[in-house]
Amino acid sequence: MNDTTITSTTQEIVVDEVLPHAPETIWKTLTTGDLIGRWLMTPSGFEPVEGNRFTFQTTPAGEWDGTIHCRIVELVTNERLAYTWRGGHEGNAGYGSPLDTVVTWTLSRVAGGTRLRLVHSGFVALRNDSAYRSMGEGWKKVVHNVGDVAGEAR
Amino acid sequence: MPRPASLDTLMRSLADPTRRAVFERIVQSREVSVGELADGSGVTQSAISQHLRSLKQAGLIADRSQGRHVFYRAQPKGLAPLVDWMGHYGVFWRERFVNLRTLLKEIDP
Repeated sequence: MNDTTITSTTQEIVVDEVLPHAPETIWKTLTTGDLIGRWLMTPSGFEPVEGNRFTFQTTPAGEWDGTIHCRIVELVTNERLAYTWRGGHEGNAGYGSPLDTVVTWTLSRVAGGTRLRLVHSGFVALRNDSAYRSMGEGWKKVVHNVGDVAGEAR
Repeated sequence: MPRPASLDTLMRSLADPTRRAVFERIVQSREVSVGELADGSGVTQSAISQHLRSLKQAGLIADRSQGRHVFYRAQPKGLAPLVDWMGHYGVFWRERFVNLRTLLKEIDP
């Protein structure tokens, strides 16, 4: 494994769906504390204004207490909402490791409803290419087999 | 609390096909001894023992002595470095979209 190269890049998660509701209705679910709590997680200190800081409480890991710290960086009513999404601790690897990301919601009116696009960006992905290559199919099998034990990991 | 093994140690340990097979075998059993692992595997007990050392160092397995025997079991927490943030949030957001659809149907039927 001496030829192993480890590179780091940032990656993003995108979920893009058309919902059969008006942008104004969806906007309410994204920017009202009570409603956010009903589909995402209950925010603490949320106010729909640029610069607002709020938090979410998630599962702790190691020295990290599980708090996600957010700050609204962009807000265009019925169109766009972006907030930072930070947490984690250096003592952790994988889940619970340092996280410095941005969550962006974009709404656009389309026939039959609204296209809602989520982009969660800024993930630092470590890629150990030769290890991934050599693990190949066998690894998928391991993941399958560990399914039941891995459930206990959280 | 011990620090989790680094991703590097974990990957290196699982990159070896024989060792991965040993790990799969341990995952499938509740507890297993070196002898049982070696039986019919075509791998010697001493080679198996070396693989077990590497898996233990990577935090993937734990052992328990009973009399002359040592039993090995899988340590689910050892896999945590592979359940990374991206994997976590990939699942998380898809689930949240499902919740959001349900909520919208309730408040805007």
